[in-house]
Amino acid sequence: MSRMPLPADRLVQPKLVGYDPTRPRPWLERLAYTLFFAALWAMVILAYGAVPALFRRFGWLSTTAGFLAYAVVEAVLAFLLAAVVALILIVVLRKYLGKVQERVGPMHYGPAGVFQTVFDALKLLGKEDFAPKRVDWLIFRIAPAIVFVSAFLLMVALPVAGGWVMADLNVGLLYIVAVSTLGAYGVVLGGLSQGNKWGLLGGFRAGAQLVSYEVPLALALLAVGVYAGSLRLSDIVEHQYGVWHVVPLFLSFVVYLVASIAELKATPFDLPEAESELVAGYNTEYSGMSFAFFFLAEFVELFLLPGFMVVLFFGGWHGPLFGLAPGSFAAGVLQSLYFLIKVAVWVWIFLWIRATLPRFRDDQLMDLAWKGLLPLALVGLLVAAFLRMFLEVL
Amino acid sequence: MRGPTTVEPVPGRTDELIINMGPQHPATHGVLKVVIGVEGERITRAVPHIGFLHRNHEKIEEARTYPQIITYTDRMDYVSGLQNELPFILAVEDLLGVEVPQRAKLIRTIFFELFRIASHLVWLGTGMLDLGAITPFLYTFRDREMILEITEKTAGARMLPNYFTFGGVRRDVHPDFFKDVAHFLDFFETRLPDYYALVLDSPVFQARAVGVGVLSRERAIARGASGPVLRASGVAYDVRKAEPYDAYPDLEFQVPTRTEGDVFARFWVRFKEMEESVKIIRQALEKVPKTGPYKGKVPPRVKPKPGARYRAVEISRGHLGTYVVSDGSERPLRVKHRSPSFANLQLIPDLFVGARFADAIAILSSLDPVFGEVDR
Repeated sequence: MSRMPLPADRLVQPKLVGYDPTRPRPWLERLAYTLFFAALWAMVILAYGAVPALFRRFGWLSTTAGFLAYAVVEAVLAFLLAAVVALILIVVLRKYLGKVQERVGPMHYGPAGVFQTVFDALKLLGKEDFAPKRVDWLIFRIAPAIVFVSAFLLMVALPVAGGWVMADLNVGLLYIVAVSTLGAYGVVLGGLSQGNKWGLLGGFRAGAQLVSYEVPLALALLAVGVYAGSLRLSDIVEHQYGVWHVVPLFLSFVVYLVASIAELKATPFDLPEAESELVAGYNTEYSGMSFAFFFLAEFVELFLLPGFMVVLFFGGWHGPLFGLAPGSFAAGVLQSLYFLIKVAVWVWIFLWIRATLPRFRDDQLMDLAWKGLLPLALVGLLVAAFLRMFLEVL
Repeated sequence: MRGPTTVEPVPGRTDELIINMGPQHPATHGVLKVVIGVEGERITRAVPHIGFLHRNHEKIEEARTYPQIITYTDRMDYVSGLQNELPFILAVEDLLGVEVPQRAKLIRTIFFELFRIASHLVWLGTGMLDLGAITPFLYTFRDREMILEITEKTAGARMLPNYFTFGGVRRDVHPDFFKDVAHFLDFFETRLPDYYALVLDSPVFQARAVGVGVLSRERAIARGASGPVLRASGVAYDVRKAEPYDAYPDLEFQVPTRTEGDVFARFWVRFKEMEESVKIIRQALEKVPKTGPYKGKVPPRVKPKPGARYRAVEISRGHLGTYVVSDGSERPLRVKHRSPSFANLQLIPDLFVGARFADAIAILSSLDPVFGEVDR
């Protein structure tokens, strides 16, 4: 046999469907993201602005039947919005991680891979939703619902523009704390009910993480409430006309930022699902749509936590109105755009953190929360109280 | 001394959970199984089980001719494939009494150090993956790809090239080889600051690594640890200095050593080794003649004279030795490989017990075992 030929500069690229590595099309990706953003904006306008305005315009809200119809329509719209947010953010996360990591990310489904999540979701829908014999069946099935419903309920209280909120609760801040804690229960129960040791450890960790970050988070929210003089979220946004809360309440903002990453279970604090340690942590035994609900909830929270951060610390929907009357529909459209842009910036920062840092250890997270964040949050609360007092004296 | 071979639940004790970590666990770098008892997150007992990748290398090698065996040695530590060929080749060269031309020695040394960088890059990526950071993994694998392409151009294969042979290397290097290597080194030096920023200088990483999994100098020596694990515990033992082979006597380099013996020290030592490898390759590139012999005079039928020889080299994971017994025929009577990961893995009970569960993952990745070589 003759000698094998030298493999001189041969570099055969496999032919990939839908993606030509020699011809990257960044404009296509930019266009896709712009369209994504526009779709999200349109959904927000529809759910928070157009449909309520329609019901008010025709006076349907005064009748019981009209009010019930309104509630059903809004619930469906909130669910659709949650689904759209999750679908968009998942592909955005994957594309962004691809950019950071010097690869192309999803490329195959749709132009520049924009429909990747849709196909993922379809795949998960088609999968068997399997439960092993050892699970505590009822809790195992309820846990994903708790997680998703809590994320979905948070969406109701999000004020996206002046007067644009599904439920303008006078206890908005308390509602956020209560409902977001509920989601963590889902994670703990899901971990403990599956009769799997990795899930059990993930559940333990989720519980430890929950009690650690919820206290500083609640105190940071309380500081905002004290400073703004109201627990109603729209009042808090109105209170920021002069200066955004991030300036006077910087300490509380830092606490909220760190605690919300812990709540998201994103990378420096992704202990409950730490895939290299606990296999998949609390969702080890979940498959099909049960798993998808955990996944969806995670990405809805990735939208909502920066959303509430913008509401509480970055002036919510504030921005130049160019002469539009505040409270008008056109002003609402513009304000919701400002809100979404601010949220997008913060989502980007969250993803950036996720792409960069390694993971903390469980005891380090608890140290950080109890010895670092809690005193910081208390000082932040004191600062807020003092500032409030001075403002009232003046 | 024989340790416990399994972990049984203690009757009546309910606070200890016994977990099988592996062999299908994401952080066990292949097929290690560790049966661990945990109290909450603290590890109370740990027993490693190996052998899931046992392929009977040493016995098979008795039935193969000498040139055929080189292919098998590649498959031990498949992450630093080419390096594994060398101890066997050195031993057989000694038995044959073959002169290796200086140019071939330098080429071998360049490849040897390139594969050290490649192996440490894989370790760095997967190690950081274990610690929860995804991004370094993709960066390091892209850099490693350049080394594999250089190897492919010259040897025809990427990971397991089967390129070294008795008396030198199997064929002359590709005409672009020296240019490509120099280009890779320049590029790699621009990448190192990124790795420092992402890993060694990262406060989160330091919180995870400093003071974790401390291995004392005495314990490291007693367990027969070698390589970066040993050097991080304060023993400056490196086969390249202790028993120099190939072109190493002519090249200047440091042996990075640290005394802390923790996970951070083991990471630090491997980082510095990559930098030293760059220096070694640069020196070798200056010395190596562009043309000349790449192989010494070797008889077509390799039949070493009867006798036995043990030669060792410093591969990425430590002291890899091969003992060859020849009876004068074209097949060896016995081949024995002394592999570094196997010895380093004995540290698991020492280092795991008392650590937290997340620390155990960091410790395992800092030991950097490769199971092809543990089980052979």
